[in-house]
Amino acid sequence: MRSRWFCACALLLATWSSAGAAELLPSETPINVAIDHYMRLGWTEAKVSPAPQLSSAGLVRRMTIDLAGRIPTVGETRAFVASQSPTRWTQLADRLLASPDFAFHHRNRLDLLLLASKKRDNEFRQYLLKAARDNVSWDVLFRQMMVGRESNKDEKPALAFLKARAGSLDDLTNDTSVLFFGVNVSCAKCHDHPLVDDWKQDHFYGMASFFTRTYLTKKNTLAEKFSGSIKFKTTEGKEKQARFMFLTGSEVKEPEVKKTAQQRKAEDAEVNRQKKDAKAPPAKVPDFSPRAKLVEMALRRQDREFFARAIVNRIWLRLMGRGIVDPPDQMHSANTPSHPELLRWLARDLAEHRYDLKRLIRGIILSDAYALSSRQVGDGGGPPPETFAVGSVRVMTPRQYSLSLFVASRNPDDVSSQVRSADWAKTRETLENESNDLANQIELPGDNFQVSVDEALLFSNNDRIQNNLLRNTDDRLVGHLVKMTDRQLMITTAFETMLARKPAAEEIAAFVAFLTKREKAGRVTAIQQMVWALLTSPELRFNY
Amino acid sequence: MARTNDTSFLHDAAAGVSRRGFLGAAAAGAAAGFAEDMTVLDVLKNPAIAAEVKKQQKHVILLWLAGGASQLETWDPKPGRPTGGPFMPIKTNVPGVEISELLPRMAGRMQDTAIIRSLSTGIGDHGGGAALMETGRRKEQGLQYPDLGAIISRELGRADSQVPDYVSFYTSTEGRRKGTSGFLGARYAPMFLSENMVPPNIRRLEAVSDIDHKERADLRDLLARRFTQGRKSRNNVLGSHTSAYQRVRGIMASEQLFNIEDEPTQVRDKYGPTQFAQQCLIARRLVEAGVPFVKVARAWWDSHGQNFETHQELCADLDHSMHVLLEDLAERGLLENTLVITLAEFGRTPKINPSLGRDHFANAWSTSLTGCGIKGGSVYGKTDADGQNVAEGKIGAGQLFATIFKALGIDHEKEYFIGARPLPISDFGAHPVDEVLA
Repeated sequence: MRSRWFCACALLLATWSSAGAAELLPSETPINVAIDHYMRLGWTEAKVSPAPQLSSAGLVRRMTIDLAGRIPTVGETRAFVASQSPTRWTQLADRLLASPDFAFHHRNRLDLLLLASKKRDNEFRQYLLKAARDNVSWDVLFRQMMVGRESNKDEKPALAFLKARAGSLDDLTNDTSVLFFGVNVSCAKCHDHPLVDDWKQDHFYGMASFFTRTYLTKKNTLAEKFSGSIKFKTTEGKEKQARFMFLTGSEVKEPEVKKTAQQRKAEDAEVNRQKKDAKAPPAKVPDFSPRAKLVEMALRRQDREFFARAIVNRIWLRLMGRGIVDPPDQMHSANTPSHPELLRWLARDLAEHRYDLKRLIRGIILSDAYALSSRQVGDGGGPPPETFAVGSVRVMTPRQYSLSLFVASRNPDDVSSQVRSADWAKTRETLENESNDLANQIELPGDNFQVSVDEALLFSNNDRIQNNLLRNTDDRLVGHLVKMTDRQLMITTAFETMLARKPAAEEIAAFVAFLTKREKAGRVTAIQQMVWALLTSPELRFNY
Repeated sequence: MARTNDTSFLHDAAAGVSRRGFLGAAAAGAAAGFAEDMTVLDVLKNPAIAAEVKKQQKHVILLWLAGGASQLETWDPKPGRPTGGPFMPIKTNVPGVEISELLPRMAGRMQDTAIIRSLSTGIGDHGGGAALMETGRRKEQGLQYPDLGAIISRELGRADSQVPDYVSFYTSTEGRRKGTSGFLGARYAPMFLSENMVPPNIRRLEAVSDIDHKERADLRDLLARRFTQGRKSRNNVLGSHTSAYQRVRGIMASEQLFNIEDEPTQVRDKYGPTQFAQQCLIARRLVEAGVPFVKVARAWWDSHGQNFETHQELCADLDHSMHVLLEDLAERGLLENTLVITLAEFGRTPKINPSLGRDHFANAWSTSLTGCGIKGGSVYGKTDADGQNVAEGKIGAGQLFATIFKALGIDHEKEYFIGARPLPISDFGAHPVDEVLA
């Protein structure tokens, strides 16, 4: 007999209240200090010792991939390793956060989270890029995505989030709940939670109620109907009327307005016209907007915990390889956070600092916990991943990888000076566009992503890898290496350019042996294939 | 709940040790030979191993009738009814079983085929219907369920396989869907052929010599070994990178399987010139080499207008290709271990519309199952006189999938796990249709 809790949507209202929980660290504690405080408590409790600190060069690589969306140039790595400044870490973080790279990368990550898996929308990408440059706070972005005005050219592109989902009430409801509140409500569609009394179908249909009036007009603008509600059947077959209810159980009542039959008819006619007539004037806006109410409720002090914790957890997942609540769409009391106080502290801190994601990212990056080696010391299973006692090994996004391959395969002198030049913002944008082609051929990493053999075949046999990344010209690494006469220096240069480290003795020996053997059939080819081996190594594919 | 390690995401026999056996103990020697021989073609040259492969491994060839074939013009004719259309039923070589006259060759070869005439699946749009019939369940928000090909390759493929596990042909652009391995991960994703008869990037560039190609991979392996040592990753994504590169040379060696020029002229002549038939021939070659799942899509059956002309043309191709495929598999002793399925996103309305078309219809339609584990000549389920409703034996996608699994000897009640959450391989509560099983 199969276990009957198949639809194991353990959606319970998490115990947000802090009753009985320990006092949180004071608000004024720096973020990185708070993180390390709670991490150390966790290590003591789990009786694990953290991995050693990552090497300087390794940390420059990790930080650059996380903040700039690409590997560092040789110049960047060397400059940092040579620096004696006691505040060099902070300086590096601040330099990268202020660089043009950060805005591009942060935009790419937000796009990946919100829309890219559904469609590529250039206006939305431009919108996010501007938001990333101006550090527009997360609550403002949320508001614009939910209730941006079609008539406002700055807000309009944000509506792409809902438009891409407007064909399906389930998508509108669930994607909004998952991405902004960390809760997958879809499981409560067919029945109340079987184990816990406080999570009902009312919550699913409550969330759906906020979107049930949303529709796309013939002109592809987003509009709301003047009325409409959902009825649903309970498992006992009883018909119930859904209420406008947020995940916390808070409700909003629609003001009762007496409308004549004629008024109703006119409203229906207006909606019908909007749906069919491409020349209709802009859709009339109803007095009562359920989506506006959702935004209002989700952000107000007594209900904002879901909103704040969900994005904290997402950013943490991005930078640490695992959510404090994992998986990130299962924030409920049957799936407790690994570090509940830290999550609460970070959520409070974010809400108190106008949902400034850049500030949160900086705080995490500067923590000691972020800087741990990803290599576990000693044998055995190692510390459990939820202790964050060992650095994570994260697969790069297609764009991170593709940009990194561009940096890795270019003439290292050229690219090092380009990054320092005043034109870098422009060059970076060009690179961003050039990387589209390769990035589009690499699979987007979903929740349970694995690298497919298609990717390995692409890198093994596609002519664009050979003719672009491995090209023997002055602007490419291969061309640069071909000019070098000292074999060991050539190998070292390749490692430093591509992997941000020097080769080990075993590697030098293997590479020398390869070159000695293969050069007989052609020196350039041998160097190209050596670069290929580095290009396709997991060390370049992963942020570790 | 606390999770103890980062490979726990899928903790169903992920290592493949307890996987449904590929070769029994008796063939252990042959199996060792298999693992060492890195290419399929070498394997096929060894008659002992080739015979063992034939005997032990099970396969599926799915003939996907994209757009929705009409049950009335194929497996469930309604002669003399207003919904019946112009074509007549014909007797088959199984007494009492009649099918449409548009399938004359198949009518002479029903001894290994079961017909199910009582599918009632409820989703009548192309995308939704295809998703349902590909995965055997309704879509659940936030969960990417693997499709039939991915599940079969997971259950019947070998962890160390050098051939692709799941090959999918979909040459037409109408209704094209790639298929998905969902939460099973990229290891079970389809090798997808949409442009050519040969998979992309499978051939070595002329600019790179074979020895360079091989030795640079050895150099890469050294870097990978050093890097992965002492490192763990979520969902073992690091391991998937390593195994993806390790499979490259084996997959490349399978390029020849896609080359039907290798077949003797008389075999190619039997299959004939249509693309669908040629893809069926490649499917047979792949199955013979150990590929567990091959899907061949034939489009576009979506006959909202001119239903009868459309079916005249498409059924001729289906009838010929399916017949020659079954004959070929049977002659080679492969049919008893190969399940050949015809399926689509839905059937077509009994009511004939003013454009002489039939529209989407998911309420009462048909599928066929031939070969492995199937009771040949059986018919399950019945529609009413006009074919509007299922009169007997109504089943959904879940039961069909359970039936397919059981026919192949896969435990249809098996569960996958995401964290602590069990996900049954057949839709929750679905039982197989034992009446069509041998």
